[in-house]
Amino acid sequence: MKPKIENRRLIVPRMRSAFCVLRWSALVALTSLGLCGATAFAASPLAATVDQVQPKIVKIFGAGGVRGMENYQSGILISSEGHILTAFSHVLDTDYIDAVLADGRKFDAKLLGADPRLDVAVLKIQATGLPAFDLSKAGSAEAGARILCFSNIFEVAMGDEQATVQRGTVAVRTRLEARRGVFDTPYHGPVYVLDVTTNNPGAPGGALVSARGQLLGMLGKELRNSLNNTWLNYAVPIGELRQSVEEIEAGRFVARRDAPAEKKPEHSITLAALGVVLVPDMLERTPPFVDRVQPGSPAAKAGLRADDLVLLCGDRLVQSCKALGAELELIDYEDPVKLTVLRDQQLIELTLQPVTPSPSNKKGQL
Amino acid sequence: MSGIRAWQINASRAAAIFVLTVVACSAAVRGIAADETTAEEQAFAAAVDRVASSVVQIETTGGREQVEGLLLGTGPTTGLVVDPQGYIISSAFNFIGNPASILVRLPSGKRMAARLVATDHARMLVLLKVDVDRPLPVCEVAPRNQMRVGQWAIAVGRTFAGDRPNMAVGILSALDRISGRAIQTDAAVSPNNYGGPLVDIQGRVMGVLVPLSAQPGGQIAGMELYDSGIGFAIPAEDLQRVLPRLKKGEDLHPGLAGVSIQGANQFTAPPIVAACRAKSPAALAGIKPGDRIVELGGRPISRAIQVRDELGRCYAGDKLSVVVLRGKQRIASDLALVEKLEPHQHGFLGVLPMRSETDEGVAVRYVYPGSPAAAAGVAAGDVLVSLAGESIHDRLELMQTIGMSEPGAEIALEVRRSGALRKLKATLVATPEELPPVDLPAAHENVKSHAVERPAVGAVRLKIPEHNNKVWSYVPTGYDPEIPYGVLVWLHPPGGYEWEELLARWKPLCDKHDLILVAPKSTTQSRWMPEEAMLVDRLLMQVGMTYNVDPARIVVHGYEGGGAMAFLTAFRNRQMIRAVAAVEAVPVGSAPDNDPQFRFSVYLASAEKSPSARSVRQAVASLRKKKIPVVTKGLGETPRYLSDEELSELVRWIDMLDRM
Repeated sequence: MKPKIENRRLIVPRMRSAFCVLRWSALVALTSLGLCGATAFAASPLAATVDQVQPKIVKIFGAGGVRGMENYQSGILISSEGHILTAFSHVLDTDYIDAVLADGRKFDAKLLGADPRLDVAVLKIQATGLPAFDLSKAGSAEAGARILCFSNIFEVAMGDEQATVQRGTVAVRTRLEARRGVFDTPYHGPVYVLDVTTNNPGAPGGALVSARGQLLGMLGKELRNSLNNTWLNYAVPIGELRQSVEEIEAGRFVARRDAPAEKKPEHSITLAALGVVLVPDMLERTPPFVDRVQPGSPAAKAGLRADDLVLLCGDRLVQSCKALGAELELIDYEDPVKLTVLRDQQLIELTLQPVTPSPSNKKGQL
Repeated sequence: MSGIRAWQINASRAAAIFVLTVVACSAAVRGIAADETTAEEQAFAAAVDRVASSVVQIETTGGREQVEGLLLGTGPTTGLVVDPQGYIISSAFNFIGNPASILVRLPSGKRMAARLVATDHARMLVLLKVDVDRPLPVCEVAPRNQMRVGQWAIAVGRTFAGDRPNMAVGILSALDRISGRAIQTDAAVSPNNYGGPLVDIQGRVMGVLVPLSAQPGGQIAGMELYDSGIGFAIPAEDLQRVLPRLKKGEDLHPGLAGVSIQGANQFTAPPIVAACRAKSPAALAGIKPGDRIVELGGRPISRAIQVRDELGRCYAGDKLSVVVLRGKQRIASDLALVEKLEPHQHGFLGVLPMRSETDEGVAVRYVYPGSPAAAAGVAAGDVLVSLAGESIHDRLELMQTIGMSEPGAEIALEVRRSGALRKLKATLVATPEELPPVDLPAAHENVKSHAVERPAVGAVRLKIPEHNNKVWSYVPTGYDPEIPYGVLVWLHPPGGYEWEELLARWKPLCDKHDLILVAPKSTTQSRWMPEEAMLVDRLLMQVGMTYNVDPARIVVHGYEGGGAMAFLTAFRNRQMIRAVAAVEAVPVGSAPDNDPQFRFSVYLASAEKSPSARSVRQAVASLRKKKIPVVTKGLGETPRYLSDEELSELVRWIDMLDRM
């Protein structure tokens, strides 16, 4: 079974590099097994870790298989009775989900529940006595921690073939920011960014474990960082998933409301109300240069001038006229607006105090 | 069924027992190994901690959104403090969009406006400056002579949300990469850490991460390698060396010497000088063709590639000591490297060579009236035997040798005329730009080939596997493998061509002037696509493998859109294509400088009322500025293709391309 090569990557050479990584990883997997099976099985600490983790990794097959949508992903056994933690994706959009265990046994899996907010799902197979991770014993890690990733990346493993193991390091613990669609995912919370190329078909739902074999996280879905056009290699910490997973397992999961998104006030402040006219918005990212300031306006009183370049609204970087508009929509029409502008290579902080309209005016606005 | 199930259970139980055994047996060993892992993890984190306060985040606003077809990200990107007074180095990749404003965010979270002080175009770095009220922390630098391939290398960036830098762990994969400019690592290097440091396990800075490519490329070269296991960093010691120049606001460029080395394989060829550009640093240092370079910058040199590598480390403005061997004499001098070289102009003696093999030297077919050769008394039928004391072996080598000298150079010739040897001196001039006379003597005697097998002649269909284009060609029916044939590639105007018509026109000309006609059809009737330039390269290679092709007379000829395509094709393939003959067309893109090794000539025909008349005049001026000889032909008032008479004049011009 050859890995499918989908034409979904924008940067083709990277695909090739991913394959190189893969080939290498597969080699690690084989070597580790070889070491465990025959000779000095404890010579490498990673080999022992691999041997302990592999039986808990599940190959999942479901919907997809057309137009760049793979029909496979990975999962993690989290109970001896056959609960499987995996990524909530299109692969699960079917009544026929197959779960193939490390020993090659194939089971029909049932979707027990999912938390779309976390992109996480729990499957159940009819089995007992399975090796499994105990979520309550999952650990956490900091940047620099050596890690192993287990997944059926590119569908290299079939039947009783073991999942691919990749070696790497936690690059940083950070948050996926919700702002302005930097990352196209409903999940906006803490993640482990990894320095190994896991962002490829089949990896979602795989396990991130420490070099000592402690479960740390679940490999996330494919995600692109729109700020610098790179693919993000990341995993969601188990600590973030545990509560939802336990509730799904217990059959009492209630989809939580989305994290309080940035709430827009009923009446937002506008550039016009502040007396600011920006340069014409001609480009995708027109820098927000001030074209004119209305005399006597809040902007004029605060000292804003023509040719100032607005860099920050509050403490958020605004890189275009559109971005400034979007930031202002989050500010109530009566609240002060803090702008930082660049003027002659100096950063100047200004506070624009809107004129509170009289009640009759306010009515007129409505 | 039950049997299978039982086996499965047994198997899994067995596996479980096996796992337990493994864990138990390995416990003792693992204890030590786990400590090792912990120690390593702590060392990685500590190394990053040591540089963290000098690694800053850079945010930019405005600037171009696309460069070379790549949609630029908006950042943030990474920078490294290199001077407490607020100097910060970063990757030039982060600034190719030429942003309107640059903000530096210090690890404390404080934002400051920065300005771009200077760019290092050779190593793709930029230096930024922020005004500081208190000194910024700088890092310790790892000495270059302590770096070893295989040691830990940690790539550090600061591009994610939060107050922690991001890291990627790998090893040092190689030293002295990209002409000695970079060190290489297998740690994940990408826009997530371009501009950040590559540090050793002690937290000392080994280099600054940049995208680089071994192949020449534009400003985004190397980006395609991101996260591939191949990452580059500019050694910190090299950076320290040029920091004073960058701080002064001096933009740095690769340093050029203007020397070409003989031989096709730079990795095996000895470093023998083939040519020096006029007024180039090499020429000014007194280096001459034939010299063997034995030392550069104090380092011994034994192969051609080392010359490129040594020069690759240098900047324009640098002085590089050089030692050459001329005969048995060692000559030492200095190369004052420059950013730009003057284009080369081929010197012209004023003869056309015979193309048939001779026992000695090269026979003269024609002497240009009023040329240096004519003034020195050379006549048709003479045999050129030696040049500057070196005996002459063949026509192409002689062309190359004469062309390496520029107009004004004096050359010493030995000429044999009916047995007697005469010594002559001639001062070379520029290649004339007039059209040739009506009657030229034949380029070869009637050779009777002894070849038994001949390739296909007459009208021949050609096929290049990856291209769908239909291609006709005509090989003179009297084709003789002993005689070198010119190749003319015809690129038709929009609308295609009729083969029968084309053949009727070209057959007599091809037969008379030893010319092979190759006429591809564009895949879309209406126009040529730029990708089809590759087709011409492939056709020329195929024809060159089948027939005896004269490398001095490979011409691409086109009318209207086909003419523009001819320029595009020729500029891309200077190694093979010797001339473009364009009718009612102007060059696409900028012509490269005239090159001593690869001669290039242009024939441009246009009408006064041609819509492109103005552009044609500009193009001619620009080509001449690059020292490319240009012949222009007026077509009268209204734009049209060449008449029969003009066409035979063009073919005579092609016949004279091996002039020297």
